[in-house]
Amino acid sequence: MSENKVIVANKGMVRADFNFWVGQYLDKFFDNLENKKIVGNKCPKCDDVFVPPRKICGKCNVVIPLDQNWVELPDTGTLVNYTITPYRVNDRTDRKAKDLLLGMIHIDGSNTSIVYRLLNLEPSEVKIGMKVKIEWAEKTKGNPSDIKGFVKM
Amino acid sequence: MEKVGIVGYYQVKLHSDANYGRYEMIFEAVRGAVDMAGLKKKDISTVISCTNDYYDGRTISNCFTVEVGGGYMADESKVEMDGAHAVLYGLMRILSGNHKLAVIWGGSMPSCFPYHSTRLFETDPTWERPLTYVNDITSAGFQMRSYMEKYGVSAEEIASIAVKNRKNAAKNPLALVEAQNSNIDVKEVLASDIYADPVTELMVAQPCDGVAALLLAPERQALKITDNPVWITGVGYSQEAYYLGDRNLYESKSMELAGKTAFESVGIKDPKSEIDVAELFEAYAHEELILSEALGLAEKGKGASINSEINGDISINPSGGATGGNPPCATGLIRIIEAAKQLRGEANGYQVKNAKKAIASGQVGMCAQNNILFVLEGGN
Amino acid sequence: MGRQVAIASAGFSEHASKRSDVNMAELVSEAVEDCLKNAPGVEFNDIDAFVNGNMPAFEGVNMPELWMTDWMGARNKPLLRVTTGGTTGGTVAIAGYYTVAANLPKIDTVLAIAFEQQSQGDTSVGLASVAYGEISILNTMGIPYDQLSRLLSAGAAIGVAAYQATNYMRKTKTTEEDLARVVVQNRHNAAKTWWTHLKMPNLTVEEVLDTPYISFPLRYGMVCPASDGACAMLFTTEEKAKDMCEIPVYVNGVASVANETAVLGYDGSGSGQIDPSDQLGAMKSAEIAYNQAGISFPRKEIDYAEVYSPFPNQELMWVEKLGLFEETTAPKMYKTGVTSLKGELPINCSGGVNATNAIGASAMERPAEAALQIMGKADNQVPKTVHTSIGHGWGGSLNLCTLMVMSDEPQRKWR
Repeated sequence: MSENKVIVANKGMVRADFNFWVGQYLDKFFDNLENKKIVGNKCPKCDDVFVPPRKICGKCNVVIPLDQNWVELPDTGTLVNYTITPYRVNDRTDRKAKDLLLGMIHIDGSNTSIVYRLLNLEPSEVKIGMKVKIEWAEKTKGNPSDIKGFVKM
Repeated sequence: MEKVGIVGYYQVKLHSDANYGRYEMIFEAVRGAVDMAGLKKKDISTVISCTNDYYDGRTISNCFTVEVGGGYMADESKVEMDGAHAVLYGLMRILSGNHKLAVIWGGSMPSCFPYHSTRLFETDPTWERPLTYVNDITSAGFQMRSYMEKYGVSAEEIASIAVKNRKNAAKNPLALVEAQNSNIDVKEVLASDIYADPVTELMVAQPCDGVAALLLAPERQALKITDNPVWITGVGYSQEAYYLGDRNLYESKSMELAGKTAFESVGIKDPKSEIDVAELFEAYAHEELILSEALGLAEKGKGASINSEINGDISINPSGGATGGNPPCATGLIRIIEAAKQLRGEANGYQVKNAKKAIASGQVGMCAQNNILFVLEGGN
Repeated sequence: MGRQVAIASAGFSEHASKRSDVNMAELVSEAVEDCLKNAPGVEFNDIDAFVNGNMPAFEGVNMPELWMTDWMGARNKPLLRVTTGGTTGGTVAIAGYYTVAANLPKIDTVLAIAFEQQSQGDTSVGLASVAYGEISILNTMGIPYDQLSRLLSAGAAIGVAAYQATNYMRKTKTTEEDLARVVVQNRHNAAKTWWTHLKMPNLTVEEVLDTPYISFPLRYGMVCPASDGACAMLFTTEEKAKDMCEIPVYVNGVASVANETAVLGYDGSGSGQIDPSDQLGAMKSAEIAYNQAGISFPRKEIDYAEVYSPFPNQELMWVEKLGLFEETTAPKMYKTGVTSLKGELPINCSGGVNATNAIGASAMERPAEAALQIMGKADNQVPKTVHTSIGHGWGGSLNLCTLMVMSDEPQRKWR
């Protein structure tokens, strides 16, 4: 091996923007979110309620018609799981930062859970089964961040 | 299912930052496997590679690997899942009767890309991805907590799996150096940095650089190529629901179904007593328990009661498992190779006595959403 | 070992430049619904396994089949993902075939799904990233990026395809008018097929030639669009196919032989494929697949073909390389109507890739339409009876190819 190794480092950035169509079911969901309302939809066969709403019920393999079976849901739920992590992950990197407290919340009246931050809570205060409630963003935009997080009821 | 023979294999030594290029690594693995079988490039009928466009930072990640993977003028395709799934496709090509020798290789180099970011790309872009709360790190935390809450399993019991696997990795010369800890104990695992509570860093199978390859041939050819073929006698694979909120994270529905299909097809009724070695792809220590229970190696919640040490009730991950090093797209393939080594009596330093029947698994997706299980039998 | 495989149905979603009314999962479910609709009596319970693929760079989603599990009907079912760039649709279809041919326990019927929603990303970035690694190596050797464009290594598909075109034209004396004629035929055909993108029933050769060059000899009017769309095919055993459809289509030959990369080679090292219009991989694929299918004289024995040609020069090249016409004669075949709907060997009556290109799906849409022609169910159905057809795919760095040979008679040649 040669002693004088020449290594050339090439740094550059390629920009790739992606914009995702959310589809008409989520369109309606986000419109409601902007008005600080939660809506889900119900499978016509097994009566499971999904939030966010979906075109297909995975258990039954049936289409939930776009104009039917919408269910208004409350902004309350039960905590079914939680975790705390110092990692932040985004499209380009992961890094360590201050602890992030996340919960899996089962919205009352639905049959699935969603993942959001738990706010104003010390990790020691978190108990699985506790009742929680949405804290909305001050200014809603019709996207997932309209739900700022969940707080203890 | 007619049995198909594994007639050659090669795994590159795992590194957290390998000091060579990916093409060299791929060539080393495929050449090594073909040489082990005593065959030549012209004997290769079909090549199935396993790479991931995002891990490689390249679209059509197989098109530039054709030459080094032995695929030039061969019937070639690519699976974008775990290396074990690529073995499945190679198996299908042999079972179809169209091909007499399949080369399957897979691997990647996480030292060259942000692994967790590329895992984030797997999430639902319309709902989960904008907030980044659901990712492979947080999913691990949810899964472990779910398991502990449901069955009352302690963090100590889970940490002891990490201890077992790291000590086993120390006996495996090809495992990742950072994972080879012969003097580790439960306290040290629990005291390591928090990854996603309650998962700690030492419970995690760390992504690392690596490539592995293996060769498959039909029974008649396998018996001519090698004195000691290892037979794949059964396989099952399944994919469960995607959203974490749709699943019971304390169990593995997909592994249950995969195991059921594989075991039924070979007539295994009591896997715990009939299987000698299990090489399972466990992305985290707690996953080894969840997957073992799904396969019926223990009752639900009682995975920690199995003596899974080398030469215990059933030796689970004598090579160290994925904890010994997790090269994305190769990990499941390496589990199959390690099981084959056991059946051929070549696992020097971590050999299970009288290994006659083994299982090997691969997975893909958050909390092992898609599992694949192979049943292997020794020839002699 | 192995067993006969049949295609029982094929389905499509609507293709358009922007399917903004659906997300990726919903787009896929449309193709799945259409495929099952065309096989009445087949329900989700009857599907034993799935194969899925697309070209993930275009949407920025890694392994999207994980997210869209429910939308395919794949919950708690076996699923395999295969992705190979431009040939993805073809390799997914071939994997669908192999999943059935392997005779794995409890797997008889397989749904293969291929899709792309290109409007969500940047097509040129997705394509160029095939070779970013190689291009950056050449940069470090002192070759500036714009010079690479002139070397036709950059510009991705169009750049190298233009190079492929000039090589082909030199060998065969093909004119630009010949190229335009292929475009016109394809887009007229697309106008008669429901799911396609560029429906142009009144397009003329002059109109095509009246557009500016992108890269000689390829003009704007000649190149394929970028489309959103999905395709699904149902593979099953010979016995079950008889209950699922009137005319089962038997898959008698499959091959996907790879060549060396064109021009750049890996690590920018150069390659053996100096003339990318040679396409040894395609020729070998044809040899293998025809041999499996028992075809000795493709020109006589094949009644219909769908070949993968985003650019018109490729269509002329493929029909020769795949043995359908003698070398250098393809332009004449298009000029004299041999390849038209009512001709002796119709090609691409669906409009081909030149009229619709949802890249992940396109290589499946070729065998899908070729199968529908045998069934008599294609939208732009040829008047003659189709007994044997082929569906071809191409992609990679000009080095990947797929071929599926289908017939209304099973080929019982088991090895």
